Amino acid sequence: MARLIPFVRPGKILFLKDRYRYMLKKELLVHHPIHNAGFPSEEILPPGGFGAVLARAGVGKTAFLVQVALHAMLQERDVLHVSLHDPVNKIDLWYRELFQNMTRRNRLSRMDDLWQEIMAHRFIMTFKVDAFTVPKLEERLTDLTVQGIFQPKMVIMDGLHFDESVREKLEAIKNLARKSSMAAWFTVHTHRHEGVTASGFPPSLDSVADLFDTLILLQPEGENIPVQMVKGLPEGFPSPRLFLDPSTLLIGKADSPERM
Amino acid sequence: MIGHIERVRNIGISAHIDSGKTTLTERILFYTKRIHAMHDVKGKDGVGATMDSMDLERERGITITSAATYCRWQNHEINIIDTPGHVDFTIEVERSLRVLDGAILVLCAVGGVQSQSITVDQQMKRYRVPCIAFINKLDRTGANPFRVIQQLRSKLGHNAVAMQIPIGLEGDFLGVVDLVSMKAFYFEGENGETIREEVVPEPLAEEAKRRREVLIDAASIFSDELTEAILEEREIPEDLLHEAIRKGTLSRGLTPVYMGSAYKNKAVQPLLDGVVKLLPCPLEIRNEALDMEHEETPVELVSDPGKPAVALAFKLEDGQYGQLTYIRVYQGAINRGSTVVNSRTGRKVKIGRVVRMHADQMEDIEAIPAGYIGALFGIDCASGDTFTTPGTNLTMTSMFIPKPVISLAIVPKDNKAQINMSKALNRFTKEDPTFKTFVDQETNETIIEGMGELHLEIYVERMRREYAAEVTTGQPRVAYRETITQKTDFNYTHRKQTGGSGQYARIAGYLEPLAEGDFVFENRITGGVIPTQFIPSCEKGFRASIEKSPKLEFPITGVKVLINDGAFHAVDSSDMAFQAAARAAFREAFQKARPVVQEPIMKVVVETPSEFQGAVMGLLNQRRGMIIGAQDEGVLSSIEAQVPLAEMFGFSTVLRSATQGKAQFTMEFALYRQVPQSVAEKIAEEVAQRKKNAA
Repeated sequence: MARLIPFVRPGKILFLKDRYRYMLKKELLVHHPIHNAGFPSEEILPPGGFGAVLARAGVGKTAFLVQVALHAMLQERDVLHVSLHDPVNKIDLWYRELFQNMTRRNRLSRMDDLWQEIMAHRFIMTFKVDAFTVPKLEERLTDLTVQGIFQPKMVIMDGLHFDESVREKLEAIKNLARKSSMAAWFTVHTHRHEGVTASGFPPSLDSVADLFDTLILLQPEGENIPVQMVKGLPEGFPSPRLFLDPSTLLIGKADSPERM
Repeated sequence: MIGHIERVRNIGISAHIDSGKTTLTERILFYTKRIHAMHDVKGKDGVGATMDSMDLERERGITITSAATYCRWQNHEINIIDTPGHVDFTIEVERSLRVLDGAILVLCAVGGVQSQSITVDQQMKRYRVPCIAFINKLDRTGANPFRVIQQLRSKLGHNAVAMQIPIGLEGDFLGVVDLVSMKAFYFEGENGETIREEVVPEPLAEEAKRRREVLIDAASIFSDELTEAILEEREIPEDLLHEAIRKGTLSRGLTPVYMGSAYKNKAVQPLLDGVVKLLPCPLEIRNEALDMEHEETPVELVSDPGKPAVALAFKLEDGQYGQLTYIRVYQGAINRGSTVVNSRTGRKVKIGRVVRMHADQMEDIEAIPAGYIGALFGIDCASGDTFTTPGTNLTMTSMFIPKPVISLAIVPKDNKAQINMSKALNRFTKEDPTFKTFVDQETNETIIEGMGELHLEIYVERMRREYAAEVTTGQPRVAYRETITQKTDFNYTHRKQTGGSGQYARIAGYLEPLAEGDFVFENRITGGVIPTQFIPSCEKGFRASIEKSPKLEFPITGVKVLINDGAFHAVDSSDMAFQAAARAAFREAFQKARPVVQEPIMKVVVETPSEFQGAVMGLLNQRRGMIIGAQDEGVLSSIEAQVPLAEMFGFSTVLRSATQGKAQFTMEFALYRQVPQSVAEKIAEEVAQRKKNAA
């Protein structure tokens, strides 16, 4: 009679020579401010979820989302960064500089190999703002996924104009995100003179706020830029105590000395 | 040469491959009575077109080198340079457009704007050359000149406007309606040499009227007088309309479009009329030189034969009787027997023979005046050199030289071939700045570099035919490196004390990876355990060790060596002993420092029509490329990736096949990166095999 061998799910095999890079990644992840920051979930957004970072020009929307992306990349999750106003090399520079700042603050060295490794989990696409359409984005994405080149689990939409016609685009992107199980993050440019509507959102976001699961506001207060989660927190859940350091644009935890 | 420079036209004919440039030039030469019989580019008679004088050109039916000629039409002298369409020979287009005043952009009525159309258009933009377009092959199935005009607008950004409409298309193509004169023209006779003028056929009257209004509207931007005439609803005289179109053309604000079929001998003559009426004479083009005595201040040149001479050498042909140097004279005149100065070398040169070219035939003349193109015999110089009258210290900017994109290793078959190959390479690199050759210091291979596989293939074939140099070609070896990945201690004693003078040296310290740089040596010896005079020897020994790795014999980079202990013998220690100790210590420690192989990674940027973006990303991915990003620029996309150099061999051919020749790429060194395990094993096998073969 044949013996039934219980199925054991194979674990990840770690070659000794890759051990150093693995330890570095772990170190960076453990000390990443998003880790154990108090978000309802570690990934902040679920697959297919919609999130937005709201701030005035130059406050740090892109920097914030790049660090969210780096957090995902360190976990070997593919990130698609779509920019509608900056070229590829400028976006690449954002990632490099913030990664270098992160590692420097953690007093880690010999990051080149690790950088090469995690860079493989990022793909940058840029479009001219008036030439961008969701079908075009979907076509480009299909080019990548069908050939097994890249399977993003997160997409960052940097620079989409939130005007009267944005709802249609957002709904189309939401469909695409759900179909592809991607979490979608947006940057929303606010203006000082706009104020907020009765529902507490900037006018540009008011008509589409219902589409978003999470909204994060970056609003300078004196020397600091607190990270405020204005939508997406469960009832009674305290807001994560994070801030953005205006000098390094790194996310930090408000209640601990800067280890990261 | 014609007396009045206002009646001179220096034009180039440029286009994508097989658009009909050489055939068009052949017809132009026939109708201007420069030649008395027409021959096809790939004709059954085996003669070939006039401008394709090389055997290789006739055999393959392609133009390889540009060829110059001249002709007369309507009391104007037209100097023509016919250029190749393949991107491999782009230097010929580059050098021609540098010295010409106007150009005809030939487009296929079926293919429309194609990859090289985009390239030559960019080249025309670079040198601000006014152009007229000629939509050729209206006799072919699928011909649609108005689609091509739309592509000129959308893909090249031209303000293109039709000067004619076709009478019939494809097999029914009979002639053209000229929208300025509103007359129909038919081309009859055995070779289309007889032009019959008729009224506009009734079925085309409405369309002709409509398109004429578009033409007038477009031209009116360049002429207040024309605008007034339109507003006052007056009859528009032909001269007024031509003048406005000319202004638009010269400013590159308007691209007049002619159409026809060169192969079927239809509508070439109106194009010649267009060249005379719309393209500039030398006086209408601003040419500048740099004054080397006043911090390279730009100085405008005047097309006056009486002024000091300034001429630019734009092409060389090195033959058995000496070098033929093609020049364009911008100011003054280059006379036979005169002395000029090469502004690059500062050397005086006596002008022996001055000739005028007609394809591969030469005609001796006395002088080349300002505004003309000719050639000098027996002058040794380089492409891009400026010749001036002694005492005039001006220099002209040279043409843009694109960088090579492909390389091959070549190996001569025997000693005789080696000598002949060297002669051939010397000549070809002198004539063609985009063809380069060098000996790779690391692999000792002779490498040739060029613009494409066809480019290199042609030169290898020419080596064989013209120099009897048989060579074999192969993929060049990649310059791998090795480095270490962990810190390792060493403590080595070099001892040879068996009687008589011996050797003794002990060195201790460690190796560790270096983040930036190739090699660092640090001395932390204290207490004189190694005397100071032997420290340089230690360093020398370590430096010698990194030239060739003990493992796979590649150069070693990224290593820091620190010595902190040692010992010496009062008699037996010497420079040699410490060098030997250093080498042995390194060899021992290196193996324990977990060495890895690194390969050069190239930054590759591919520009492609957006429709091929997916295919291009697939190609890069298949070659172990890591795609950084894709930039959508409307019609074109730009994809940036990091790809190992070892995977780039043959990429240009594959890219062209995958994108119908519409994509281009650039490649430059980015960094060194560790190779994957599978590649490392393959490299180790190849090295072992090479060692075995050598043994």
